[in-house]
Amino acid sequence: MELDLFVRYGPALLSGFGVTILCWIVGSLGGLVLGFALACLYRFGPRPLRWLIQAYVEVIRGTPFMIQLFILYFGGPHFGLLLTPVQAGIASFIIYGSPYFAEIFRSGFNAIPKGQIEAARCVGLSEGRILFRIILPQMLVPTTAPLTNFFIILTKETAILSVVTVPELLYETQTMASETFTFVEPFLVLSLFYWLMVIGTSWLGDKVERRVTRHLRRA
Amino acid sequence: MGDITTEQPIIEIRNLSKHFDDFEALRDITLDVHRSEVLCLIGPSGSGKSTLLRCINFLEAYDGGEVRLEGELIGWKSAGAPPRKPLSGEALRRQRQHIGMVFQQFNLWPHLTALENVAEALIHVKGLPKAEAMTKARAALAKVNLSDKEANFPANLSGGQQQRVAIARAIAMEPSVMLFDEPTSALDPELVGEVLGVMKQMAAEGMTMVVVTHEMGFAAHVADRVAFLEGGRLVTCAPPADIFGREPDDPRVNAFLKTYRERNVV
Repeated sequence: MELDLFVRYGPALLSGFGVTILCWIVGSLGGLVLGFALACLYRFGPRPLRWLIQAYVEVIRGTPFMIQLFILYFGGPHFGLLLTPVQAGIASFIIYGSPYFAEIFRSGFNAIPKGQIEAARCVGLSEGRILFRIILPQMLVPTTAPLTNFFIILTKETAILSVVTVPELLYETQTMASETFTFVEPFLVLSLFYWLMVIGTSWLGDKVERRVTRHLRRA
Repeated sequence: MGDITTEQPIIEIRNLSKHFDDFEALRDITLDVHRSEVLCLIGPSGSGKSTLLRCINFLEAYDGGEVRLEGELIGWKSAGAPPRKPLSGEALRRQRQHIGMVFQQFNLWPHLTALENVAEALIHVKGLPKAEAMTKARAALAKVNLSDKEANFPANLSGGQQQRVAIARAIAMEPSVMLFDEPTSALDPELVGEVLGVMKQMAAEGMTMVVVTHEMGFAAHVADRVAFLEGGRLVTCAPPADIFGREPDDPRVNAFLKTYRERNVV
């Protein structure tokens, strides 16, 4: 191990890690919100809208992330959409994740007994209040584990952003490797960074799951 | 009860009909409920009694006829023949605040404590400040004898306790009428009494109640009138003494009650 390499490339690697975290958090939270909105529209919207959402889900799930990224980044300018690599990376990440999130939430909706919603309507709660106070907290019971899983999958999908020169972790690691002809050390560090994200996510997922299932524990 | 003939009924049901696709669930029902009256709806399963109850707060959108609460048409913008426009969500919510409902399956919100279940609508529908809502919610729980369980989640309450929380949730809103849809049918026999006890107390305090029930004892002893439905039609509506007497006028009522008599319930 040549430790002075890390002194030289440390800042670049940390910056790459920062960009990875940024793209991952903004992209996956954006995907989460968009997915939730899609699931709501699918559930409450008119029929033609449901078909549209179904088509969107099929198309996005049916194509590789890298192709979506290429289309947005290289094809975007043809439609007047000029994005920096980071913008394109985050935007495509949001789009890529949204149908998976939407499907997780769609299954979650089905887990709420209809009677609870009737009871809420009977006391005059508004539909918005019912969604966020009655449905959403209970939806998280069956969906927290699959949501955590998907967040974890997405940590590693960020590596694909390097192909459009987003200066994220893999990009910086490859730069270091090619400039110094070292491979083991940079990629070990790379793995460590991803692993940190993964255990952090699974720890947080566990916390959330404990919180949202507390009412199910026997006193 | 006072002189019910001179007072305007609190609930007026006129020529009510309801279809589910081709199935005629209710046909030409006309029925009044007077203030402080306890009306029990009885009849075989599938006779339409739950559907009738659910039309009163528009959980089921009735097709024909009218339901009025204190003179105000429920659910639709105008009386008259279909097609007619439903009320806005806002207007329907306002109407529903005056109609409390208790379900067979309790339908408490399991992720909220007993107290939170009762306080939710006080805060977010009535708009009461939190402290005042909590005071009211505690008073409602005290009325159903559950003051010591306010911090429990529904999963840690017995069926009878859950149903009493559901009653507290409804009465905390101070409704003009209470609807009960087979409130004791999902309970173990030994828990039925505590729920009926609370309902009897409410009746004694003058609450207007419409109760779909298979508890013939409750209907016989607490109801002011009993309505018998069969095949979506109102067969008869009379004081319990007339219904549960040895030989009711209508043979269909007699046939229905026979099974209960054989079990010595009435």
